[in-house]
Amino acid sequence: MSKNGSAVSIKEQNKSAASSLMKKNIRKFMNNKLALLGLIVIVIMTIACIAGAVAGVDYNTPNPTVLKQAPGNGHLFGTDTIGRDLLARVLYGGCYSIFIGVFCSVLSSVIGAILGAIAGYFGGKTDAFIIRISEIFQAFPQLVLVMMLVALMNKRGLGNLLFIFVITGWMTTFRMVRNEFMSLKSETYVKVCEAFGMSKNSIMFKQILPNVMSPIIVSTTTNVAFFILQEAALSFIGLGVADSTPTWGNILNAAKSISVVTDQWWIWLFPGLAISLFVLAINFFGDGLRDVLDPKQQ
Amino acid sequence: MLKFIIKKLLMMIPMLFLISIIVYFALNMTGIDPINFMVSPEVLSANKENVDALRESLGLNDPLIVQYFRWLGNCLHGDFGYSFDGSSIASIVAERLPYTFELAGYSLVLSAVIGIGIGIISAIRQNGIIDYIGRVLAVFGQAVPQFLVGIILIQIFAIRLGWFPSGNRISPDATSPIADAFFHLFLPVLTLTIGMVAVLMRYARNTMLDVLNSDYIKTARSKGIPEWKVYLKHGFRNAMKPVLVILVFRIPMLVGGSVVIETVFSYPGIGLTMTNAITSMDYPVVLITTLIIAAAMLICSFMVDVLNALLDPRVRLGE
Amino acid sequence: MNQETDTKKVILDVKNLNTSFVSDKKEIKIVKDVSFQLKRGSCLAVVGESGCGKSVTMNSIMRFTGRNSRVKADKIQYNALENGKVTEYRLEGIKNPNGPEMRALRGPDMSMVFQDPMSSLNPVYKVGDQVAEGLLQHNKGMKKAEAKAKVLEMFKKLGIPDPENRMNNYPHEFSGGMKQRVVIAIAMICNPELIICDEPTTALDVTIQAQIMELLKELQVKEGKSIILITHNMGLVAEMADEVCVMYMGRVVEFGSAEDVFDHTTHPYTKALLRSVPVLGLADGQQLETIPGATPNPADIKGGCEFADRCSECMGRCREGKIPSFEVSPGHFVRCLKFDNYPEVK
Repeated sequence: MSKNGSAVSIKEQNKSAASSLMKKNIRKFMNNKLALLGLIVIVIMTIACIAGAVAGVDYNTPNPTVLKQAPGNGHLFGTDTIGRDLLARVLYGGCYSIFIGVFCSVLSSVIGAILGAIAGYFGGKTDAFIIRISEIFQAFPQLVLVMMLVALMNKRGLGNLLFIFVITGWMTTFRMVRNEFMSLKSETYVKVCEAFGMSKNSIMFKQILPNVMSPIIVSTTTNVAFFILQEAALSFIGLGVADSTPTWGNILNAAKSISVVTDQWWIWLFPGLAISLFVLAINFFGDGLRDVLDPKQQ
Repeated sequence: MLKFIIKKLLMMIPMLFLISIIVYFALNMTGIDPINFMVSPEVLSANKENVDALRESLGLNDPLIVQYFRWLGNCLHGDFGYSFDGSSIASIVAERLPYTFELAGYSLVLSAVIGIGIGIISAIRQNGIIDYIGRVLAVFGQAVPQFLVGIILIQIFAIRLGWFPSGNRISPDATSPIADAFFHLFLPVLTLTIGMVAVLMRYARNTMLDVLNSDYIKTARSKGIPEWKVYLKHGFRNAMKPVLVILVFRIPMLVGGSVVIETVFSYPGIGLTMTNAITSMDYPVVLITTLIIAAAMLICSFMVDVLNALLDPRVRLGE
Repeated sequence: MNQETDTKKVILDVKNLNTSFVSDKKEIKIVKDVSFQLKRGSCLAVVGESGCGKSVTMNSIMRFTGRNSRVKADKIQYNALENGKVTEYRLEGIKNPNGPEMRALRGPDMSMVFQDPMSSLNPVYKVGDQVAEGLLQHNKGMKKAEAKAKVLEMFKKLGIPDPENRMNNYPHEFSGGMKQRVVIAIAMICNPELIICDEPTTALDVTIQAQIMELLKELQVKEGKSIILITHNMGLVAEMADEVCVMYMGRVVEFGSAEDVFDHTTHPYTKALLRSVPVLGLADGQQLETIPGATPNPADIKGGCEFADRCSECMGRCREGKIPSFEVSPGHFVRCLKFDNYPEVK
């Protein structure tokens, strides 16, 4: 009984220690003005985009009477080459772009972390095999790899793009987690867990993985920006999501025509600003998170 | 050292082989029939026998594995086959690969000099004006999509100011080939360089800061040697290794970037060729361009290993 | 204070040295009003727990404290003695810490041996060249071959086996003890008067420690070098030091000859420090004592004696105001109110 009591109290102590660490980290983060600004911009832009989409702004009906209209006069951001309202498109496109970024970075981190944990913990042949696969993937610049897969899929759609990004995006997290596991698995506490007869699964994911969580969280955050930029680049050269889906990159695709670059600056400037601002905010936020969670890294 | 280089070089061959198999088979599984590109649909339905004969003569009815080795044999003889529109891929590559090399090469050199230079200076004069400007530039350089930088540069320098052409590589009426090259390369190289500089600068700064905080810098100072010697001889030389490695390591980024930038500037390099081939589903061309890029990447990672060995006596002598 | 004023006898005279570091716009004082004198040809040991400011004090004298630091002092005077003539250098007045005045002194006059030989040598250059570098710097026009010969001589003197070949090796090919000999060679090559050794043996094996310390002792005795030895190893202090300076939280709490400090220990902190040294022949059941509590964070220090919270003899007035130093016997100073019946040091 008394044993139980003390166990509970240790748990309670740990909880309160964790919560005070959490409070300290939050305070540290709040002191980093740029990171806080980044977070605010991210939240505002995400809410604006979602609100726009929920309110059902009309992004898709061409209005032949207002082709290529400059900002103002009922269209805050102007209209595009076939007379669609750009503000609506940027808001709607934001939903897609942010979704692509978040979805792909979370899923590829999960895959990378699981594979990294397996490779690092088991080592040997398993490790060599997974490493070999990741090396083949890394023999290509990621963009080229994505383009190849686009060619293979032979169909442009949101689902395909998500799949391709996830399948090509897990390698950095994988290598990081694998290396951490390699060094952590020889720590005494892991040996103790093994001696207690804990299952390999619970050692890997309950005991070791939490130690690697901070860098994973940081890299997942910055990867959101990476995937958004990647999607934009791919859509810009015409290999991204189908044209009917207005992602930020797809809207910018219009800027491939030199006359748009010259005469309709608003068509490329506003979506371009939206991407840059969002990516900038994520980078600031990610740097702040890194300072708080992972002070060893620069 | 020589053994090390040869071993690394030999390891590239099975890797390239494996990649070629994967790409070849994968592209063949897309089910695109090259015949459809050679023969118009009307002819196709009208002359079934002739088409079948054509198919037979092209070897398209052979098992895939036979086709692969025939293709590989041809490639090794320098015959890369023909694109779907009938032009020789070997000659396309011969014409366009040098353009991409020019673009990527100049950007690499320029970004290395600027990026590492600013990075090192910012580390030495920490929190100075160059450090501050550099940090702001790095942040924006990483946030603005590269193709957008290209568009903005075109808008300013090609269209508003008219100093540079907005695209292409050769103008038909050029008088001096060097000036012509300069004018066409300037904007795309600048675009690629901005992206690379942002990454390199940050890395060079952090590395140099680490080095400057190390004990041997204090030892160097305790000898009473001048500061520039401390920075260059003891600091820079040690910071050089990780920075050079990251430079070579980042070449894929440059290649990936040049694929997009070639589209922005309609620059006739391998990247644009590949993009167009993918959009028009011209798979023989996709196959070859992919393999060229893969080979370039393997050579880069080979160079990382060799550089590592050359710059660090611990690695050089440790084998 | 019974100050020695003969500049021929005193090589280094430090008065009220204050060093602080600026971090997050807050200034944290690390070294506070440190004063001491080093007699020519003697060995001064600076002891104290980790983080008590020993290294920072010495780095402040050599001006190695980096850009976010502020060094202030009434006096940091270095007296060079050459052919019976004394040249006085006032280091606290030199503005640029890495400027020509400071650089001219580093090497031929004062040099430093650092704590960790593993990281004190530049990994990409041959050790011989690293040793020769200082020599070539301070002797304009010296030929490379001459420098090489000198380095060889120094390697022999320091007992590095096979010196001809070892000169052309890289640091990673040396063991820790040999590396530390190279570091000492770098410090010694320009024949300086003052050598500051910042925990020179902490990173080494015990047997190697003894060799290195013997080497330093020899330099002091045979060549009349003045040595400052930073350490927390009391055994070393007893063996090496002529005078001992005990520091706690950035202040000198006790200063005196080795005899004074070991045999007539006065300050409670020094007593506690000495009690916590493991010695052979500890009686059965006798426990090694520890100093209760931990070193406070320098940012949290208020008025009074810094040691008050951990002191067994703490009195009410220990916690307020400025604590002066008292001279309990000639040349033996202690910063503790227990001894306020002795003359106060201004």
